[in-house]
Amino acid sequence: MSDAAGLSPARRPGLSFAGLGLLGLVLLFTAFLHLGLGAKALDWATTWQALFQYDPTDLDHAVVRDSRLARLLVAVVVGAVLAVAGVLIQAITDNPLADPGILGINGGAAFFVVAGLLMVPGTDFAYLPWYAFLGAVSAAVIVALLGGRAHNPVRLTLAGAAVAALFSAMTATVLLLDQQGLDKLRHWLTGAIGAADVSKLLQVTPYLVIGLLLALSQVRSLDAHRLGARAAAGLGVNILRLKVVGLAAVVLLSGSVVAVAGPIGFVGLVVPHAVRLVVNADYRWILGYSVIVGALLVVLADLLARVVVRPYEINTGIVTAMIGGPLFIALVIRRVK
Amino acid sequence: MKWAAPAALRLGEFSLRFRPLDLGWILLTTLGLFAAVLAAATLGSFPLGWQQVWAGLWQPSGSGEGAMAHQVLWQLRMPRILAAMLVGACLSLAGVILQSLTRNALAAPGLIGVEAGGSVTMLMSLVLFPGLVPVYLLPLTALAGGLVVAVFILMLALRGDFSPLRLILVGIGTTAMLQAVSELLLTYGDIDRVESALMWLGGSLHKVTWTEVQVLALWFLLAGVPAMFAFRQLNLLQLGPAVASSRGLSQRRTLAVLLLASVMLTSSAVATAGTMVFVGLIGPHLARQCCGDRHGILLPLAALSGALLVLIGDTLGRWVFAPLQLPAGLVVAIVGAPYFIFLIARRREFAN
Repeated sequence: MSDAAGLSPARRPGLSFAGLGLLGLVLLFTAFLHLGLGAKALDWATTWQALFQYDPTDLDHAVVRDSRLARLLVAVVVGAVLAVAGVLIQAITDNPLADPGILGINGGAAFFVVAGLLMVPGTDFAYLPWYAFLGAVSAAVIVALLGGRAHNPVRLTLAGAAVAALFSAMTATVLLLDQQGLDKLRHWLTGAIGAADVSKLLQVTPYLVIGLLLALSQVRSLDAHRLGARAAAGLGVNILRLKVVGLAAVVLLSGSVVAVAGPIGFVGLVVPHAVRLVVNADYRWILGYSVIVGALLVVLADLLARVVVRPYEINTGIVTAMIGGPLFIALVIRRVK
Repeated sequence: MKWAAPAALRLGEFSLRFRPLDLGWILLTTLGLFAAVLAAATLGSFPLGWQQVWAGLWQPSGSGEGAMAHQVLWQLRMPRILAAMLVGACLSLAGVILQSLTRNALAAPGLIGVEAGGSVTMLMSLVLFPGLVPVYLLPLTALAGGLVVAVFILMLALRGDFSPLRLILVGIGTTAMLQAVSELLLTYGDIDRVESALMWLGGSLHKVTWTEVQVLALWFLLAGVPAMFAFRQLNLLQLGPAVASSRGLSQRRTLAVLLLASVMLTSSAVATAGTMVFVGLIGPHLARQCCGDRHGILLPLAALSGALLVLIGDTLGRWVFAPLQLPAGLVVAIVGAPYFIFLIARRREFAN
């Protein structure tokens, strides 16, 4: 499913680096906006000073440093990680409509986290990533079984929707059985970056690093896989290993994100397509661009979530679904004949 | 199964071919339904023996020993039993129609956005403006939402040639967006209203009264019964667009009419009992296991098995965790989905 974009910077690394640098600048600028805007709007000078001439006695500085900076960091990591997971899952399923959210992987992770928190006594945050991984793996296995052997994106997508529906029904059941849990968890369940904090992020960092390394280890195989499974096998790529390692990376990455910030959908779907509009190169470039575009998307979504209904805020997962849903539909109309 | 000579039932221009085995399945499902009704009538926080049920059914509503049984049966259990059966029949029929229209075994009203559309408008009226819409008009609220979604995805799917794939995928995207809207309502709504809304959303028949049963029955008569007579068109559509139009079937019109019927059935069920995604998936498959794709038998059999599913789900839901009540839709999902997954994983022929 390679696009025929003529703008490919594949053979002009200079241009690619320039593009990456430009996007990085945009991300920095957006991040700065993210720090300045919010329930309490601060002027830019104050924001700047909070970063570079920190005054511990100034309350405004504390707002920027203590709450917003942490939130920004979580948004950046979540966005980047989800984008990588999206690139991977689209590549290994060879399905342009795949996304950890649509395929039910986020839903599975969320169910196991909710069930673990509410039903297993003595659960603290350190266990949550493992619950999330377990849920993500079960969902992935079920979807893979339902998806069948033949290459069929529609069947795979529908199977994912069915599994997502199943897990959300089970989550609803657990929450109905424990109504205090509902009030505690309903914000988290729609993907709340606001509720996340840096200590949680630090706890999942090892898993994130492993996931990213696994993803990077498969870059060459992914490039070959783009030519088709058969051609890749002919080039000496171990397809089974590619799929297993790739899926393990996806599970680690999206499971960690769910444990930190709840299920946030559509980032993994949208980002790879956005990136492919300009970058039609090998997977190293696609992954590199996706990291930055994903971070940008989630930071923007989080910004919107906090600014649109100020002083309240919408959950980030809802914003990404509102942005991602129409894009998904547009994609379907363009691609599915 | 060549041994069973097909018989034919002729009624004007309709001719229905069936096999003795099909009648057996129908009979068996009906018996199962009867047993489930009996179980549902006897179980509960006020247990009744089946003799008491029988007596309570016929006893005049006076005083006396059976008066309590009469009260429980006629005011609580009968409407709930009937509503469960009707909801199941509606959703399962809607599922068969959609699966055949899209020629995809995994399609269901709940997966392509129709239930989500109905439930968003319902949630708005439950969480934002409670009491604004009278109970008997609630199905219309859901219908409005379901219809908007159906028209939307149909329009997109009909651009150019009719494409079942596009219909399904656009539906999935729409569902995701609408779910974000419902989540918005559920996350920021008043917690008390949200809890009851969540109960309803999970597919609960907790507060069903005779009014809802009457409304449902009316919708079933309006959309479900005519749909059952569309088996010839569905049989043709199943063979693919080329064969269907060579037999003189106007695809677009048939499609629009059948989709409307499916939306009407789904919306009335959603308005009464919330979302039950898996009934529309599993009901049709149970029926298909028995009689294959011959819609003349498949449609009524699916209606029966859907009714059976929801009734069992509802009875289990109010019995197993008593006094806590689990919504029927969730029970069906949790009990039925693993079976469904097993079924689909085994059947390679669905891998188009």
